[in-house]
This record gives sequence, C-alpha cells and structure tokens, in this order.
Amino acid sequence: MIEILDPTTEAATQTIAFAPRPPALAGLRVGLIENTKFNSDRLLQKIGEILKTEYGAADVRMWRKHNSSVPAHQEIIDELTRTCDVMVAGVGD
Amino acid sequence: MPALVSQRHKAEDLASAVELCFSRGWTDGLPVIPPTEPLVRAMLDAAGLAPEQQIAFITHRAVSITAEKVAINAVMAGCRPEYMPVVVAAIEAIGDPQWSYHGPGTSTAGAGVLMIVNGPIARELDINAGDNLFGPGWRANATIGRAVRLVMRNVCGSRPGTLDRGTLGHPGKLSYVIAENEIESPWTPLHVERGFGAEQSTVTVLAAEAPHQIYNQLSNTADGILRTMADDMRISGNVMGQPQYAVILAGEHMRTIGADGWDKPRIRQFLFEHTKNTHAHLKKTQRMSGELKPGDETLLRPLVESPDDILVVAAGGRAGAFSAYIPGWGSKRSSQSVTKVVGRQEVAR
Repeated sequence: MIEILDPTTEAATQTIAFAPRPPALAGLRVGLIENTKFNSDRLLQKIGEILKTEYGAADVRMWRKHNSSVPAHQEIIDELTRTCDVMVAGVGD
Repeated sequence: MPALVSQRHKAEDLASAVELCFSRGWTDGLPVIPPTEPLVRAMLDAAGLAPEQQIAFITHRAVSITAEKVAINAVMAGCRPEYMPVVVAAIEAIGDPQWSYHGPGTSTAGAGVLMIVNGPIARELDINAGDNLFGPGWRANATIGRAVRLVMRNVCGSRPGTLDRGTLGHPGKLSYVIAENEIESPWTPLHVERGFGAEQSTVTVLAAEAPHQIYNQLSNTADGILRTMADDMRISGNVMGQPQYAVILAGEHMRTIGADGWDKPRIRQFLFEHTKNTHAHLKKTQRMSGELKPGDETLLRPLVESPDDILVVAAGGRAGAFSAYIPGWGSKRSSQSVTKVVGRQEVAR
C-alpha cells in the first residue's frame, strides 16, 4: 500500500456581490467595457445600439481597459458606478 | 514539524499510484513520481520551507500557492530536492504582478514559461547552458520547468481546454529551462545586468513563444550575424503588440560577436534599430489596420518598446553557427519578464 498527497488546490471561496439585475432596460444608463481586442469596440457598439433601439436604454457609454489581460482598472469602475445603471463586459477573441 | 494538510489517496503499489495520478488529471501526459510524504518532506527541507508558507498568491484566481503544494508537484515532476529553491523562485516570479499570471497562463496565444537561471546554482545543479540547449537530456532542465507547469495545472487550474486556452501551445510548455553560459560568455550575465550580484543565483521568467532558430554560417563579424538575427526577428511574434524578446547567442556566434568587442547594450541597440517595420509593410501584410497613407513607406514602428526589452543571453552548444530569438507573449503592457533570487524564502524552522 502506498499513500500519496493531493497536488491540487481549490481557489478560496469568495462572495461576489452582484448588483440586482433590473427587470427591464427602459430608461437605464448602460456602460460598455471594451477589452482592447480588435473589433471589440465595434461589437459592443452594435450591442449598445440594440439595447437602445430595441430595449429602450436611455444612454450607452463605452470605456476601454488598459489591456485585455487584466480586470477593468479602478477609474473605470468608479466612474461606471457613478454614471451607469447596468454594464456589459465580456471576454473573447 | 508542521503537518502536511493535503488530502491523501491510497494505491496498491507504485504502478497503480502512477495510474491514479493520471486518472485524477494531475499529470502533463507523462508519468509522474507518486508524491509520498517522505519525498515531499525532503523537498521542503532542501529549501528550508515550512509547508504552510505562501510562495505566491495569484490574485485573479484567488489562489494561494503554498510550499507544500509546490513540493508535491516538484516531486511529481521528478525534481531532486536540491532543485526546490529554483522551482520556488520561479513560482514567486510567475506570481509577480509584473508577470501578470492570468494573461500568459490562459491566453489562446499559448505562452510557455521560459526560465533563465543565472549564478552559481546553475553550475551546482548542472542546469544545461550548452549543447542541445532547449532539447532533452538534463534532469534539472527537464524537471524544474515541468514542476512549474504542474503547479500551474494543479494549483492554479491552468488546464488545456479550460483555464489554459492555448490554441497551439508549444513543446516548451512541458519544460522551458536554460542557464546562461556564464563561464564562456564574454558578457555581463543577465542577472547582473538586472541589478543582482554575480554571486547571487536568480531565475528570470518570460512568458514566451517557442525558440526560433537563426542561421548565419557566412559572416565573421558581429554586424553580419546580428543583421541576420534582426532580419529574422523583424516580423515575428505578436508584431503589433511589442512584447519583450529573449535573444540566445550560442557558441560560435557568441565568440564572433564578443571578439568584435560588442557588449550586450550594443547588441540590444543594434537589434532595436534594425528590427523596425514600416507602417506600409505592416498594413500591406494585414498586421496593422487602416488604409495606406502617404509617408507609410518611411514611417517606422519598433518591434519592441525599448532596447531594454531584448534580453540577451549567452547559451547553447560551442559548435554550430546558430542562435535563437524568442518572442515574448502578447505585449509588454500585458506581461513582463521578472527576475527573482533563489533562496530568498528560506526561513528558520
């Protein structure tokens, strides 16, 4: 019989407080976070237009991260918190 | 002696323990050494580390990498206990915010962790700096890098298809460790250039593509060899991203360039000046967006942000007129090379 040790680690459990999701977008201010990847601004712009024309969002604003490999920097998060009701972000190539 | 806190698993014998590691998804595809407590303890003792000591914290993963987990994975990789301080320094380095784990650990661009070992420990541990530099044949080179990759897989969750999304990857993702040939090099070693003492031992990590070999069997001047190098480098890697680069100058080229009196700063400056691309070329070859404009034929974009973003390392076999360049992953904005001292974490127990 041989006993071996487990090489894996679980990530520490964290509680993330999501803002409650609004039942509708009508009249709400939408923030878009662009991750700097090529065409990501165009994709998000399109999404923003759809949120305005089809869902009645009041306003759409876009921010650009420093680079795609890091979370949005604090200035973006601070300004978003003050000026937007909902936000759209994503990851992808 | 503090207890080891990892979960324990039982197997009938050695062979079934190896199979257990495969079935649990703990290996890189090759068999591992089953990590028993005595082997793990020997690994910790060799580095003078307590098991609960944190070696690095990967913020974007919320993962604490403890000495115990590093030791377990180092045993599995086949490391000798005396390699452990080098593995630990490399883990510290990839946990540094400058290296920025999430990008190079996850990206579709498929980075490996190039580790360049400098200082006396490279000779003590027989870390290869010569023949077949990037190839197999040296236990230290093969297992130290493997241990780092197993930590990334088992502790940080960087598994192919989930949190390691490399489209192609490359063979260096198994292990990608070299030492600088400080004995024969005519130049200041990398770690001394980066502010450490010659008597210190360090590991420098660069998130990196595979090595790209260059041929110059014609020139007997520094200028000639480095023109070939620059011409090969000019369009390489993420050419619009301006990543850092490693340039590996092997035996014959090293001696020729050194004999001409060129030092590393001059080599870097030359390569910086001769690897710029015109905007016209970048646009015509679909690397830079936008229409061709007047002046694009003469407007130059450097391959790297500054000459200091080219790490020059003397290493490789004595015979053969070959060298290599290694594009870093992504961009310097996203990840930078990091150097850590070997043995910094030793604690009194």
